[in-house]
Amino acid sequence: MDYFSKKKNKNNDIELAGKVSMLMDKSKVDEYEIYISSSTDNEIEIFEGEVESLSYSDSKGIGIRVFKEKRTGYSYVTSFEENKIIDCIEKAVLNSKITNAEEINGLPLRSEYRYTKEADIQKYIFDEDFFKVNLEKKIELAKNLEKIVKGKDKRISGVDSLNYSDNYSEVTILNSNGFEGNYKNTSCFLFLNIISKDKKDTSTGFSFLYERNPQKLNLEKIAQDAAAKSLMLLGAKKIKSTHSDILLDSLVASQFLGIIASILTADSVQKGKSLFKGKIGEKIFSRNINIFDNGIMKEGFSSKPFDAEGVNKGNTQIFKDGILKTYLYDCYTARKDKTLSTGNAVRASYKSNPGVGISNFYLEPSSDYSFDDILKKIDSGFYVVDIIGLHSGANPITGDISVGAKGVWIKNGNLDFPVKEVTIATDILSFCKKIETIGNDLKFFPSAGFIGSPCLHVKDIVISGI
Amino acid sequence: MIDKETAKKVLNQLLGSGGQFSELFIQKKVSNSLRLDDNKIENASSGFEIGCGLRLTYEDSTYYAYIDSIEESKLLESAKILRTAINNSNINKSIDLNDSYSNYNIKILKYPDLIIPETKKQILLKVNKAARDKSDNIFQVTASLSDMQEEVLIANSEGVFAKDFYVKTFLAVNIIAAKGSEVRTGYKSLAKSMGFELFDEKKPEDVALEAAEIALNMLDAINAPIGILPVVIGPGFGGVIFHEACGHGLEADAIIKNASVFKDKTGCKIASDIVTAIDDSTLPYHWGSYKFDGEGSPSQRNILIENGILRNYMLDIKSSKKLNLPLTGNGRRQSFRDIPIPRMSNTFIDKGSEKPDIIISSIKKGIYAKEFSGGQVDPATGDFVFGISEGYIIENGILGNPIKGATLIGNGPEILNKIEAIGNDLDYSPGFCGKNGQSITNEVGQPTIKVSAITVGGTGA
Repeated sequence: MDYFSKKKNKNNDIELAGKVSMLMDKSKVDEYEIYISSSTDNEIEIFEGEVESLSYSDSKGIGIRVFKEKRTGYSYVTSFEENKIIDCIEKAVLNSKITNAEEINGLPLRSEYRYTKEADIQKYIFDEDFFKVNLEKKIELAKNLEKIVKGKDKRISGVDSLNYSDNYSEVTILNSNGFEGNYKNTSCFLFLNIISKDKKDTSTGFSFLYERNPQKLNLEKIAQDAAAKSLMLLGAKKIKSTHSDILLDSLVASQFLGIIASILTADSVQKGKSLFKGKIGEKIFSRNINIFDNGIMKEGFSSKPFDAEGVNKGNTQIFKDGILKTYLYDCYTARKDKTLSTGNAVRASYKSNPGVGISNFYLEPSSDYSFDDILKKIDSGFYVVDIIGLHSGANPITGDISVGAKGVWIKNGNLDFPVKEVTIATDILSFCKKIETIGNDLKFFPSAGFIGSPCLHVKDIVISGI
Repeated sequence: MIDKETAKKVLNQLLGSGGQFSELFIQKKVSNSLRLDDNKIENASSGFEIGCGLRLTYEDSTYYAYIDSIEESKLLESAKILRTAINNSNINKSIDLNDSYSNYNIKILKYPDLIIPETKKQILLKVNKAARDKSDNIFQVTASLSDMQEEVLIANSEGVFAKDFYVKTFLAVNIIAAKGSEVRTGYKSLAKSMGFELFDEKKPEDVALEAAEIALNMLDAINAPIGILPVVIGPGFGGVIFHEACGHGLEADAIIKNASVFKDKTGCKIASDIVTAIDDSTLPYHWGSYKFDGEGSPSQRNILIENGILRNYMLDIKSSKKLNLPLTGNGRRQSFRDIPIPRMSNTFIDKGSEKPDIIISSIKKGIYAKEFSGGQVDPATGDFVFGISEGYIIENGILGNPIKGATLIGNGPEILNKIEAIGNDLDYSPGFCGKNGQSITNEVGQPTIKVSAITVGGTGA
């Protein structure tokens, strides 16, 4: 079942966009945008040495956004017969009749791009070698990983989830302002969650890896990470409620950073849904923290030449030395604030209207402190290895954060004993003020964007236990 | 859609390399959504999707592919490619397709595609106005209205030929209230497997007022206490705790993977005597109900826990064969793009006998958790976390100050044994549940319950 040799030469989406635009020209709208995404996906699940499931998909959809009398409407379709596309256009026009008219509605203009030069990022996000690995090799790779991880330690009792997936996708945008663009992207992803058991306790540990082509996946590394995490937590105890310093593992810190990222979009600020409203120029972090949203980072999995409405992407510094410098903008929110689009229009798929979102969003690591250096500085504290319930426990609008945590207690600069069933609670602005030291181990967490942070030492956090 | 003859051809084509089970799942879906934010109808969107998922199994392995088409030639071609995953001799199997039967039958009164866009717009404008008129402290209203009509056809090599038709309507309201520097949020939704008669049952304005009330009540919230306390969990959405902390562990794939604390526990006492829990996909018009599940098995009412004793898991075809247990109608999938897996439908703790106010009055010092923002669980250990979005202190049997930033953390199996009282006020609440990247409609539910001790995580003393 080797599809790639067959499917590599895709139908030309640019040609399809051209055909749709000819139909659009008859629809009497003021402006239109055609967004086409094609995607080929493979997914392999392994369980006890066998293929548990293997799935393949090849899909394509068109999203059509129209503007008529300064109102906007949207519609999408996955069938490409002419009558289906015409239906789709008509629905978008019909939808535009019930949305509010606003002077600032409309497609982006070149003069509204903050980054005028289109980034040469295509060659970094698409890897020809991706197609050199056939399905048998991918299955073998996934089966191998199961063997490697089970051999790591006798206490590893099983694999809860071992999933390999990859994706080859293509995005094409054509609009009535003359924009026409297309980019291709390859990626593969491994996810591993293992279960460890001893006489008294059960613990789990997960790890993941992503690359542009499967040959680059380092199985030893992902197996080691998951095993270490799960074993480190085996035999965890509950502890008494307390206040203490915490050391957030870089992947946990990335997830906290994701909460902060969600309220740095101009959309949330303009609608009064952000604690950062009116705080441009203010020092938010106590330390000299730098945070970037870099849409053209070579190794970034959210990198692309242009955003979801065709605006060039670039590298935006959001915090400089702890001071808030800018929000993230798409074209609509930029017009509202009389500024330029930072190229942060995003959409989940052809099914959705563009909105504002992050791309590769990260906290710049320090060069001074490794994880071990920071650990040594903490007399008594909690090393947070994993958190659960972030989505329900963090409210970005009010700023409250209260999440479940697992980890290891720190005593005199050393890891002492594992801890479970505690919560750590704070609020976003206090959290920013309490960051004491920044590590050098930048790691990225794939989420709604690609979010990265080094490990962080945070002072004085409330821990609730027994 | 396609007829039995075409379905047979495709199913046979799939089995052509010696596979043991083949299935096709055809779906045609029309959806609309409308969103109000910041006093404006911000966007209106519609979608049309059609496609077919093909499944083939051999021993414990499942092979899956889908295409965005239901044309016979394309289905046959895809089936031919998919079957190359198996390299066996072909034993010709005769397939006899029979119309599947389900007891679940409902009548839709107001089909969404017959409702003009302007009417939909008015619903959101009413929501906006009702919430803002409630108090000057309300400063933002975000509301979305979505509807969908969906036709599915499921056929498999064991003879299933099931057709289903769904209509779903969903209204969600998010409110932000502010007073001084305090900012609080409130959320309420209304969702059923029906058309726009949904709003004859309940006015959109009432949903807005309920959401507004949560945000307004929470404006005076104090920091949540920390430590172990008795907790009363409110009816309706409080059932999310059972859903997360126990329900997922009763889905049979977790049992097979040895990733559930409930493995080998059927017939064993796992909860207090007063606990009976049910998964029922036949509740008429409920958000998680259906005629057939994603594999064509008829919907069913399944008792999961009966008077504290574990009775049943929730199964799909694969797990039912593997565990040699009868089907329960819980094989669900997000769309034709996804492999069906065991999932909950409408899952709830059944009603008890006590009056809710008596339950609250039995607590000297504790928490009343009325609404939650959601939660997460590790099914292998049963450890869970839930965020309380509306909660109050209980002092000497009386509800006191609202609390903010509170989380409940604990272990599902331990909590089941600590349920000390169950109210007579069973209620349900609709939502979406995500698992293995698939989001499906679910309902959670429960009456008011009392748990003798849970760790509460806040920032207060």
